[in-house]
Amino acid sequence: MAEKLRILIVDDEMIVRESFLHWFKKDGHTVATAASGFEALEKIEKFPYEILFVDIKMPGMDGLELLKKIKAGYPDTIVIIITAYGSIESAVHAMKMGASDYLLKPFKPEQLSLVLEKIKQQKKLASEYNYMKECLEKITRFDDIIGQSEPMKKIFKLIPEVARSDASVLLTGETGTGKELIAKAIHAKSSRAHLPFIAINCGAVPDSLLESELFGHQKGAFTGATYLTRGFFEVVSGGTLFLDEIGEISAKMQIDLLRVLEEKQITRLGSREPIKVDFRLISATRRNLAAAIAGESFREDFFYRINVIHIPVPPLRAHKDDIPLLIDHFLNKYSQEMSKRVDRISVEAMQLLKQYHWPGNIRELENAIERAVVLSRSRTLRTSDFAFLKLALTPTSGSQALRDMEVSHILKVLDENDWNITRSSAVLGINRVTLHKKIKRLGLQKPSP
Amino acid sequence: MEDTQIMQQRKTTIGVFAFGDVPAIVLKVIAAHISGYLKIDAEIMPSVTHPYYALDRHRLQYDCGLILQTMNANRFDGYEKVIGVLTVDLFVPILTYVYGEARQGGKIALVSTYRMRNNPHSKSELSSRVYERTAKVALHEIGHLFNMLHCEDEKCLMHFSGNLSTLDKTPLYFCRYCTVYFRDALKRR
Ligand SMILES: [Zn+2]
Ligand SMILES: [Zn+2]
Repeated sequence: MAEKLRILIVDDEMIVRESFLHWFKKDGHTVATAASGFEALEKIEKFPYEILFVDIKMPGMDGLELLKKIKAGYPDTIVIIITAYGSIESAVHAMKMGASDYLLKPFKPEQLSLVLEKIKQQKKLASEYNYMKECLEKITRFDDIIGQSEPMKKIFKLIPEVARSDASVLLTGETGTGKELIAKAIHAKSSRAHLPFIAINCGAVPDSLLESELFGHQKGAFTGATYLTRGFFEVVSGGTLFLDEIGEISAKMQIDLLRVLEEKQITRLGSREPIKVDFRLISATRRNLAAAIAGESFREDFFYRINVIHIPVPPLRAHKDDIPLLIDHFLNKYSQEMSKRVDRISVEAMQLLKQYHWPGNIRELENAIERAVVLSRSRTLRTSDFAFLKLALTPTSGSQALRDMEVSHILKVLDENDWNITRSSAVLGINRVTLHKKIKRLGLQKPSP
Repeated sequence: MEDTQIMQQRKTTIGVFAFGDVPAIVLKVIAAHISGYLKIDAEIMPSVTHPYYALDRHRLQYDCGLILQTMNANRFDGYEKVIGVLTVDLFVPILTYVYGEARQGGKIALVSTYRMRNNPHSKSELSSRVYERTAKVALHEIGHLFNMLHCEDEKCLMHFSGNLSTLDKTPLYFCRYCTVYFRDALKRR
């Protein structure tokens, strides 16, 4: 049986509408008519017509205007423009505006069949494409980032948009939330994709070393500089530089980096000759930089330079819907890596992992799965395989989970602000007295250095 | 044989009539095809006047919509469906021409011999080939009157033909699917 389409005929002339209507009915399509652009918009709002035949010349809203509205509101709808002889120019214009085809009225009987055949072909391709897209979306990963929860979908949507611009990006979020993966995805989707992606963890490299790593040095610039070394600013040569833990860099380094971003040139250590550099900067931090600026440990001008586009990356507990998907992914990854058939997880274990608040986020989850797969002696992971998680095996009550979350949040903020009560309470949005009370009630203690 | 019995019980008859001056043989061939291929009785009816009212003065063609609309006033009692035969060029507003016209599930169909000739303007006698083409279009349009849809199968009477070469390749009978559909359509009445 031939494929049946949902067709809407839009024409101010009744006999044309009728003519189309009867013709398409003989093919068994679902057909409706509209006498004006306004009526067409009303009808398409109520019923998902796939194909619109639109007369270009209509009083009120003309065919081109309707086409524009349809393409804006219902981009998947196919629009065929109907026009009289002598107005091919406007038909061509309509094609440029997104019409799929045009018919010069009156047309030969075969032409109408041909147009429908073409549309069916087009629809088939589109549905094949959508099917493939759906399959990909089922796996729901953007390169290596996995998730199908709303917060993650939002980020997936943002990545290609951000990739198109060349502005500096700041990713903020707790450790283990996958900030580097997002940075890589932005790079991969950008026009710099074929150029290097260089990631540096500023927190892990001592300041003095970081400087020579980034800027490079001339032979003999300092003791041990036995030959010329190009820094990452040069090596990246047009690619993307990812500076993780940017909140950890020294005040001097902030000034140096700010100058590079403004002047787009560097001088190697021990040299005076400026060298032009070109790169896109993506930075990341788990710290609250606004608080750091208030505490004057972070330069405001530098902050604005690196924070042109801000992408907050949610902690795992804010998108727990993704936990089963992530578990599935890591199970696959580690059973393959270890050639061990561990491909299932018990309902109770899944429940446990969904309840846990994952202070270390996705990375902690990945480590937990890896460890469990290594130790597991059966195909199915059970709660006992996750005994190492700090959580009691008896399911926690809702208020307990809430308390856990509060504890970790307050601890995090205190940590980030070196236990400075004034700054921490400002970040938490509570007054100092309340924070003191909470610290006491929750039994929080400043870690000994 | 069971089919014929049912049809005889219900006394299904299709009327065939001419608009103005149409060679009698054309009507006879159409009626013979209806009873031969569709296994339905067909009768030739008195002719009606030529539809001057439907002539479009710009296109110099006859508007099927107007003819059908006008003919709808007749009840054609005693006939399940009727088919009117013309010798003039037919059109519907969106198409440059049509061989015939019928509304889905309607009562009246139209068919013209005009474009059944390879050269419509030649004054040569109608050949048997032209009769067969006209009859084929008539059967196809009757299919629509019984709510049959166009069929993708090229080896089916309900396959749409926009030109004569396609029409010639189209058979006078339904494909297996449409055969069942047509039988059901007759039973359902
Ligand atoms: Zn047809
Ligand atoms: Zn068929």
